[in-house]
Amino acid sequence: MNNFFQIEKLSQELSGKTIFKNISLKASKGEFIAIIGPSGSGKTSLLRTIVGLDRQKSGTISLDNIILSNSSIHVPVEKRNIGLVIQEKVLFPHLNVLENAKFGLPKNKDSESRAIEMLKIFKMQDLLKKFPHEISGGEAQRAALARSLVTKPKLLLLDEPLNGLDEELKEKLYPPLQDYLMKNRTTTIMVSHNLTEIKKLASKVYSFENKGLIKI
Amino acid sequence: MFNLNSWSIVLIATFIIFLVPIGFIFSSLFSGFSENFYHIYEYVLIEYSINSFILLLGTISIAVFFGVGTAYLVSNYKFFGKDFFEWGLLLPLAVPPYILAYVFTGIFDSYGSANNIIRDVFGLPNEYIFFPNLRNLTGAIIVFGFTLYPYVYLVSRVAFKNISGSLNDAARVLGQTRLNAFFKVQLPLIRPAIFAGIALVAMETLSDFGAVEHFAIPTFTTGIFRTWYGLYDLDTAMQLASILLLLIFIFIYFERASRSKIRYSNKSDAMSPKKEHILDFSKGIVCSIFCLVPVMIGFFLPVAELFNWLFQQNFEIDSKYLVSVSNTLMVSFAAAFIGCFLALITNFSARINKSKTQSNINVFLSLGYGIPGLILAVGITKFFTTVDDVLLVDFELFITGSMFGLIMAYIIKSYALPNNLISSGYNKFSVAMDESAEILGAPKRKILQKIHAPLLRPSIFAASLLVVSEIVKELPATLVLRPFNFDTLAVSAYIFASEERMFEAAPSALSIVLIGLIPIFFLNKLIRESKEL
Repeated sequence: MNNFFQIEKLSQELSGKTIFKNISLKASKGEFIAIIGPSGSGKTSLLRTIVGLDRQKSGTISLDNIILSNSSIHVPVEKRNIGLVIQEKVLFPHLNVLENAKFGLPKNKDSESRAIEMLKIFKMQDLLKKFPHEISGGEAQRAALARSLVTKPKLLLLDEPLNGLDEELKEKLYPPLQDYLMKNRTTTIMVSHNLTEIKKLASKVYSFENKGLIKI
Repeated sequence: MFNLNSWSIVLIATFIIFLVPIGFIFSSLFSGFSENFYHIYEYVLIEYSINSFILLLGTISIAVFFGVGTAYLVSNYKFFGKDFFEWGLLLPLAVPPYILAYVFTGIFDSYGSANNIIRDVFGLPNEYIFFPNLRNLTGAIIVFGFTLYPYVYLVSRVAFKNISGSLNDAARVLGQTRLNAFFKVQLPLIRPAIFAGIALVAMETLSDFGAVEHFAIPTFTTGIFRTWYGLYDLDTAMQLASILLLLIFIFIYFERASRSKIRYSNKSDAMSPKKEHILDFSKGIVCSIFCLVPVMIGFFLPVAELFNWLFQQNFEIDSKYLVSVSNTLMVSFAAAFIGCFLALITNFSARINKSKTQSNINVFLSLGYGIPGLILAVGITKFFTTVDDVLLVDFELFITGSMFGLIMAYIIKSYALPNNLISSGYNKFSVAMDESAEILGAPKRKILQKIHAPLLRPSIFAASLLVVSEIVKELPATLVLRPFNFDTLAVSAYIFASEERMFEAAPSALSIVLIGLIPIFFLNKLIRESKEL
């Protein structure tokens, strides 16, 4: 289905400063889109606006034929079913890896097995009972990815999730991530400033220039 | 490694002097129990325990409800008055529980201001009483709850501030509402901080003498005081003090253990500032009212009533008040000076000797803040009477009832303040500086005088002010250890209030509150810098 995810003429201002202006973007189901741009160009703000953590100044965001946000509607973050993985390590420090992975799932008898399955995909099955401070940065990022994907988000937003990890580790992470996204036809938007990373994953690439978005 | 030199000898001497009163208290448990103890054990110990337990439970409930609730609101939302509440919620720290107790009875007693105002407005006769009697456990719980909640607020506020905004965002993205994110992420993360705050509240509640005595509630502290001054049995008073001290040590341990967990539970590799959610008008007003209630009860109400009392006696200030002020300033500055000097030497010793043992001893010395003033007074009195009997009797000298005991108690109680501040001050400059000075041929004393002391001047100045503001409030140790006819502001307020001469208590009580405002400035700075406590 075309235009599964769409943003139209989206503008954002924070503390009176224009972050981006009149941005439009479309993605079909299962598509992997990459957005590049230098630091501070507005990539992270765009993702925060899409997920609903910040409200846009103007424009419309819709997903699966439902308007998530426009001038009169604002679906709360927790009801959007959008996954977000950022480069900052955001595993909850008081929960172990398994509890972190289960966090976004409804409490039922399947939740644990679903979380374990997802952690297995990212080769984390031996670290289920470890706390975030007991695992490495790369393992924490894998757990964060698993935590986001296990909720089966309609849209996955990746904010330089592999930044800071060494190349060897990245090479290990791409295949299971790509497999999962393709199998589940998860629409994904990834922001990065690493072209090599993008070329491996994305079918369409956009670039932030002069507070706007252009396809390259 | 423990290098024995003149610096470390000061540390060891301080350690011994701090330990002796506590040693005397615990030694009482091995000297046999008198008839008085068995009488207390049989008839009143249960009552002391139950009252203390109910008091603790009630106080902790209020302190946690308002302390955590207000800290959460000012940490996560923007609403009317938020900038004021951020520091304003600390204001009740300036009001010692016993002063709020005096004010409460002055306001809510049958002939108190509140009943009088209503009767005057409606022209009702005197038998109409609108407020329930507060001279009971409920009244004491309210008093302690609203004067001590800032301890929980302070640690919770700093802990909330140290939680990365990204963790909250992650919880929201994973489907949690703001409220659920609070219960599932923020609250578990600040739990150690809350426990540390609770332990402080518990220690303060169990240590208090002035408020429970004013409300005539039998607790451990009033029991110790009555046994000593009513039954003239210092040994049994010490045995009761041992039981209370053991309880206090449990809370001290609990507090220290919780503090060490704060660092672990907030461990996040990066910190994104939390975005404050702007509340709409009606929700914002509800939050403002929720934050205003504890500040109103714990600070504005007592201050307004104290000014009212001052006004009622036409702002007349007698010479006794001026003597109390001068006495208070004299002893508190003396204790501040000696305390800061000792802390400087002990920290210097630990630093130049690069000794972990000495640093640990210094941390141990700081634990004096948790020891109730009354217990310190009991221990010091026993220590001094022993010294008088054994050493000084031949010279016809005695130190019991002298200023030494009072200043010693103040130093032990407030030592944590100069010690922590000077220790943090030392952390700001490198040991390499000392080594450079040594290479240039400077002896240790010169390093202390010419390098450390000038660099530590701001810390020493802040510590002195904090010690003075802490000592000004101290009542039970002062009451017991002061030389004959030596009144401080706290003692003077206590004496007037116990004789129900509230108007005359106002100048002293108000002075204590105003001096007590000094730490708010430093604590507010600490919140803004968001340091771990």
